[in-house]
Amino acid sequence: MNLFDSLSVSGSALAAERQRSEIIAANMANAETTHTEAGGPYRRREVVFQPAGSSFRLALANTASSMGPAPGSVQISEVMDDPTPPIMRYEPGHPDANKDGYVAFPAINPAMEMVDLMSSVRSYQLNASAVAAEKQMIQQTVDILKS
Amino acid sequence: MTPTTPLLSTLESFLSLTVNREQAISANMANVDTPGYRTRDINFQGELRKAMNATQSQSENGGFTAQMNPVVQEVSGLMERPDGNNVNLDREGLLMSETQLQYQIGVQLVKHQFHQILSAINGGGQS
Repeated sequence: MNLFDSLSVSGSALAAERQRSEIIAANMANAETTHTEAGGPYRRREVVFQPAGSSFRLALANTASSMGPAPGSVQISEVMDDPTPPIMRYEPGHPDANKDGYVAFPAINPAMEMVDLMSSVRSYQLNASAVAAEKQMIQQTVDILKS
Repeated sequence: MTPTTPLLSTLESFLSLTVNREQAISANMANVDTPGYRTRDINFQGELRKAMNATQSQSENGGFTAQMNPVVQEVSGLMERPDGNNVNLDREGLLMSETQLQYQIGVQLVKHQFHQILSAINGGGQS
């Protein structure tokens, strides 16, 4: 356990939040995508966070050499598809319309995505300020060497 | 005779405790969006008292400071969100500033101790 471990813990959160923002941006960009390579409309995606760095390593922290993520880190365990069924809109002229003239649009609510994005950005800021604090503490330690 | 003073050993455990606490806080901040995560912290005053008693008994025996192993435990009495996470951002932010200042105090005291030793070496004159 040292200050550099704290840095990597905050760093793991920065990486996770950035990936979350990327997924949200992809959701918003594809809010009107009716045609994907897999067929059908775009499926909204969501990230799942889980703690990384096992408690086993926490127990061995004083004896074993540091391996893997520091205890307390966070990671994205999976990116899952939202099972919500697509919204059917009546647009007979659309190339992806079915025989009744309905087009399947992804079930994406822009307001919800924006709120999610704001939450992600705030968490990113929080961890960025934690990194700044840890950096300052390391700098102070270095300053002991100066007279 | 060793050039370290008993106060330096105490300061060492103080600094190491603040670093441990800093890590607990940064882990809480990192997991602010993790479902089911519980806030963790160390009992700072209790651990410091334990460390100081250990330092005192060791300086009497003339030994080195023992390896500290503070207990990280879950914090009770925090409001839990529907996803089972109970990280309170205000609490963590405040504690992080507090820990940072405590660390600064510790570092300044360590520097002061070494300056005192240097002053003794120089015969109390310059520096």
